Amino acid sequence: MKSKTDHANPFAGDSTGIQKRETAARWALRAGSYLVVLTTAAIMLHIFVKGAPVVFRSEWPFVNTQFLTELPSQLHVIEDKQGRRYETGVNGADAIKKELGENYRSEKTIAYSGGGILGPIVGTALLVIVSVSVALFLGVACAIYLSEYAKHGKFLELIRLAILNLAGVPSVVFGLFGLGAFVLTAPVFVDVPADRSVLAIPLGFTTLSFEGWDTCVLSGGFTLAFVILPVIITASEQCLQAVPQGFRETSMALGATRWQTIRYSVLPFATPGILTSSILGIARAAGETAPIMFTAALAFKDKLPWQKDLPPLPADASVFAQWEQSLQRFLGIFTESVQALPYHIYTLAAKIPQNEYSERAQYGSVFVFLVLVAALATVSIWMRIHLRKKYRW
Amino acid sequence: MDFCYGASRALEDISLDVPYHRVTALIGPSGCGKSTLLRCINRMNDRVPGARVTRGQVRVKGKNIHDADVDLTQLRKQVGMVFQKSNPFAKSIYDNVAYGLRIHGEKNKAVLDEAVERALRHSALWDELKDRLGASALALSGGQQQRLCIARAIATLPDVLLMDEPCSALDPISTLKIEELMSQLAREFTVIIVTHNMQQAVRVSDFTAFLHLGKIIEFGPTEDIFTNPREKLTEDYLRGIFS
Ligand SMILES: Nc1ncnc2c1ncn2[C@@H]1O[C@H](COP(=O)(O)OP(=O)(O)OP(=O)(O)O)[C@@H](O)[C@H]1O
Ligand SMILES: [Mg+2]
Repeated sequence: MKSKTDHANPFAGDSTGIQKRETAARWALRAGSYLVVLTTAAIMLHIFVKGAPVVFRSEWPFVNTQFLTELPSQLHVIEDKQGRRYETGVNGADAIKKELGENYRSEKTIAYSGGGILGPIVGTALLVIVSVSVALFLGVACAIYLSEYAKHGKFLELIRLAILNLAGVPSVVFGLFGLGAFVLTAPVFVDVPADRSVLAIPLGFTTLSFEGWDTCVLSGGFTLAFVILPVIITASEQCLQAVPQGFRETSMALGATRWQTIRYSVLPFATPGILTSSILGIARAAGETAPIMFTAALAFKDKLPWQKDLPPLPADASVFAQWEQSLQRFLGIFTESVQALPYHIYTLAAKIPQNEYSERAQYGSVFVFLVLVAALATVSIWMRIHLRKKYRW
Repeated sequence: MDFCYGASRALEDISLDVPYHRVTALIGPSGCGKSTLLRCINRMNDRVPGARVTRGQVRVKGKNIHDADVDLTQLRKQVGMVFQKSNPFAKSIYDNVAYGLRIHGEKNKAVLDEAVERALRHSALWDELKDRLGASALALSGGQQQRLCIARAIATLPDVLLMDEPCSALDPISTLKIEELMSQLAREFTVIIVTHNMQQAVRVSDFTAFLHLGKIIEFGPTEDIFTNPREKLTEDYLRGIFS
């Protein structure tokens, strides 16, 4: 078919103004995105290149088990007269010195850079478990109340605003809040209240004393819970709102109470989203340094939280006594202060003299931390896909 | 009875005496307040902020349902409802139908099984679905979903069944089945149905109410309304020359 006007293109764009601006805008936006991707990639690659060799080995078992299963310790570097250097832990140092004998020239020690990072890993895991349990419980309860029960109005808007503002509070302020609230004034049951107790209520068999939990996993976990609470509340509320109103109407029309409706036809469908968002909360809680500085974390600790000295049981101790001690040991985990990965990284980077030997632990820790966070993200995505399949609408 | 959504009055001067064990049809142009009226009967409007009955009362089985001693869950158990939009839960077919019984505390598997089968038979779904009760309700066709919603509503054996355009998404065969179901149900239950399909109103209902702009224009035996309406407005609407 031949058109009447063979030469003129009826759809020719004007090559002026609009077209050029369009092109410029596209390139500006594209450049911005590439910059973000490049920066992220550069950081990741750097950490991978420097950190992976610390954690992985070229021969079986391919992983540096020592780095993952030992507590941090001092690194001793011994130099002999030929300039050869031997890196070793505390225990190995004397043996090497003896072996070298006359040949020994000098010894250097680098704090925290030897051994592994099991202590910080365990500490971070415990802090995350406590904080996410607390934050999920409080956050989901709050979100359900706000989304399902509370009356729409000024007051509700005010609460929402408050929650949003909470998200903007600097984390060091949360740390100080945790110090005041949990470390120094939270209530505990004790036989004899401490002098610093704010308020002691005698209950007969024991005393409820507001003397704080001291720096421990519990204090840190609760503090972190408040850091991630706004994220969890907001996300949970969105997930609840995303459940079709029709489910609620139908359920109510069948005579269900409000709680039954929530329990059987709202929560099951909101759970995948809530869990996903809570995993983002985990990543955040695992990475925060300031909130745990005053409430839970130690720069160094030579014991794992469950390696506490308890009085040995008599040989003929009853099963009950053994059981009680195990329970005590378990609960003791939460009342110990711990090392934590982000704080350990901070210590390694800022609190010890920097040299070629401190690098190993630094990059190793950061690498392990990133791998853990990436693993969590993967789990969350997998979980969301899996649960979505089950509860789709 | 008057009924308001906030400041706007949706129903005005409604006075309707729905007879027991009969099918009553509500007809009228879109937006005239049929759904609103229906939702008043099981107090579903309680969920809408600002919505309330401003004058008069709603009585079901002789009891004013706004009395303080009326338990909403009991009221809604006895006054079942099928919504205009079909909305099965994203659960299995079985769980959908058993939902009402379960929330009222029925745990006995045999009782549940029987109730589910009866409800599905009633709503003409049993033969199609009996082999895949565990499948997701969302995998059903639109018409099947709607019938599932009916099954869900009748599984608890309500005394009154409110149906908001239950057949709007159904093919003629399923519609026929549902209509049969309605006349069957009317033997034991009181059925109120909203419909835009005049033939359907004629076929299934014993009484018809014509609503217009929130008012009842005419109410009487279906035959009378359709053969010789008293009001000009009704006549115009039925003849389709309504503007
Ligand atoms: N939740 C609500 N809030 C405020 N106004 C509403 C609400 N629901 C309905 N209305 C209003 O009440 C009036 C009656 O609505 P209703 O849903 O009862 O109409 P209907 O007769 O069922 O119409 P249709 O045949 O299209 O379903 C309409 O004017 C509508 O805008
Ligand atoms: Mg309607």
